[in-house]
Amino acid sequence: MAQAGKGKLNYRCPSCFMRDIDIDMFYDEDKKEYYCIRCCYHGSEEDVLQKNQMARFRYKSMLKRFDFDDDGQKERK
Amino acid sequence: MKDTFILNLVHRPELNPEYAEKTAGGGKGLEDESIDIFKLQQRLAHENGLKTTIQMTYSSLFSQYVVDLAKSDHQKYGDEIGLSLLGLPCRQFNEKYRTKDFCIWMFSLEDRKRIIDDVFGKFFECFGFWPESTGSYYLDAQSIAYIEERYPSVKCAVATCWEEGPKAYHTCNNSWYTLMDGGPWNPWIPSTCNTHVPAKGPEDDSHIVAIPHLSRDLIACFDGNGSNFGTHPQNVLRGMVYEGDQYPYLFNLIDQYRHMGKYNGGYSYNMMFVGPGWLNKKGRWEAPYSLLEKSYSDAMAYYGNLKKEGKLCDMGMSEFASWFRENRLYSSEAFLWKDILYGSEKSHFWYSSPSMRCCLDMNQGGAMIDLRPYESKLVRECGIGTSHVQEVSYPFLIQANYRAGYFTHYAGEGTVKSCTVSYGGVKADMCLCRTKAVLRSEDGQRVLELDPVQFKLGELVADIQSVFYFREGSNEVKTVRKVLRTSIPDAKVCITEYMTACYGTTEYPEPMDGIKLIAGDKTLDYQYKCRTVRAVGCCTAVVPQVECKVSMHASEGDECFVKEGYAFSPMFTLGLVRNAGQGEVFESWLKLEKAN
Repeated sequence: MAQAGKGKLNYRCPSCFMRDIDIDMFYDEDKKEYYCIRCCYHGSEEDVLQKNQMARFRYKSMLKRFDFDDDGQKERK
Repeated sequence: MKDTFILNLVHRPELNPEYAEKTAGGGKGLEDESIDIFKLQQRLAHENGLKTTIQMTYSSLFSQYVVDLAKSDHQKYGDEIGLSLLGLPCRQFNEKYRTKDFCIWMFSLEDRKRIIDDVFGKFFECFGFWPESTGSYYLDAQSIAYIEERYPSVKCAVATCWEEGPKAYHTCNNSWYTLMDGGPWNPWIPSTCNTHVPAKGPEDDSHIVAIPHLSRDLIACFDGNGSNFGTHPQNVLRGMVYEGDQYPYLFNLIDQYRHMGKYNGGYSYNMMFVGPGWLNKKGRWEAPYSLLEKSYSDAMAYYGNLKKEGKLCDMGMSEFASWFRENRLYSSEAFLWKDILYGSEKSHFWYSSPSMRCCLDMNQGGAMIDLRPYESKLVRECGIGTSHVQEVSYPFLIQANYRAGYFTHYAGEGTVKSCTVSYGGVKADMCLCRTKAVLRSEDGQRVLELDPVQFKLGELVADIQSVFYFREGSNEVKTVRKVLRTSIPDAKVCITEYMTACYGTTEYPEPMDGIKLIAGDKTLDYQYKCRTVRAVGCCTAVVPQVECKVSMHASEGDECFVKEGYAFSPMFTLGLVRNAGQGEVFESWLKLEKAN
């Protein structure tokens, strides 16, 4: 195979992202997949997007909006 | 003064953006694209009625077009024209200095002075006046002193990135050397000895007001990557804290900063500083340009609307410095930060004063999980030619994430200050009591009052409340443990107030030789022998490596102890012991002093 390059977007490795490492992935044209040069993750664009969504599991308040007052924060209804 | 939420919005025209050199797209060259991004940022600010501080970079001073742009925006919108020590790399710099280094604090002192003179001189040549603000990711005390000596017009500087130390380094696969943990999260007047340390008074005032690079989430950045959770819309995208094109977290973050005013005399603050590389046409990682642009536009609109509603005051950096000197000066700062991201109901209390910076975690019963002994006023020269070429963090005595904290496996200990409560041979640690707190200011001190927690110790149930006092100008923290109720009326629980500590700036252990542990009139020289010495009175550790003496004391008659660690657990512990029954309190003090 020829050397790998970047894909159409510069995806980071979702597996490394979940351990707080930002590392660019490369694209293997032959296998039509992204792969990480540090860990063993590899997957299609669809798989990367799915795993990125999974990485958000810890952000339970990500889409909430809060107001702050004397008693602390309250979720905006 | 009341309810003053101040914004410093800073833009820098970079002609070779650090992040974009290899990735910038579009049909035009990198230089044109970079100028376009700067113009976009300026336009979005002005459209929303906000003034900015334009921090000219060295490379931009060679572009008459950018110089004219800055002059024009200064005249038209009142933008301040400052001078950044970021953005040094360009053809002229590279040819002159023959290096790829770009962080001012990493150069040798001789080169730092040469570069500062060069950059300031070029600025004067372009504008005919000296800048009143400057900055970098970090600006060391020696550079500040030199700038103040040669260019006394400078009143304000971007001087550190809060908690951008080992975490940011790891996030970049161990390749991003902004190792600068341990400073204040909000503006301060740096001491002449060390940039991180707030000055005590005129005697160690460095003559500038320092502002942090971004306003960061005080929980998320303590554990996670500091670059994902701050007032930088594209950093929020970097952290994947958005869905579709929605990122309410950014606005929660801004609003929680606004809420700091309640605990700091009405004053609250935000700093936003997005380098042009974050808005390049090819997008950043997963985020396409359209989302990068939208997020910046939304942030400007949010600040702009706050201003229209009379809830925000936008200032240039030097204007802010004057305001800060008039209204804040050497005051301490405190806040009880609530989790706005993970849904945990966790809160951290942060305190910064000329004597210390510390963090207490309500999810661990108010345990102290971070302690920086500013009282030491540690002088740390940095840059090439010193033993701290890159590493400029202010050392900790306690950092629960780097050095274990409350201990969860079988061999060793971790850094934390907490207490244990025991009865009938059963012992439990306050670290395992999740609770909440209220913060108030009274009689010149911050009072952090925690909700009572319950201990189940065999047949006994005891309700205990913790209250912490931080007096303005003091180098002590007072801790009060109140035994509110015991299920057996005459029972006395044994409270051991303890602090397990070490020193360092990273996760890795440091040599402990030379540390002296003192209990009452008995002294131990640290030899990794796992010894414990008990006495009556005060317990102390002298840590010469960070020129710090840390002690704990209660009443004169209390038992105290010091505990030495061992090679697999290179820590030390100071402890105070008191038996207390229902209605009784145990008051103790943690004290920091400089040790030469």
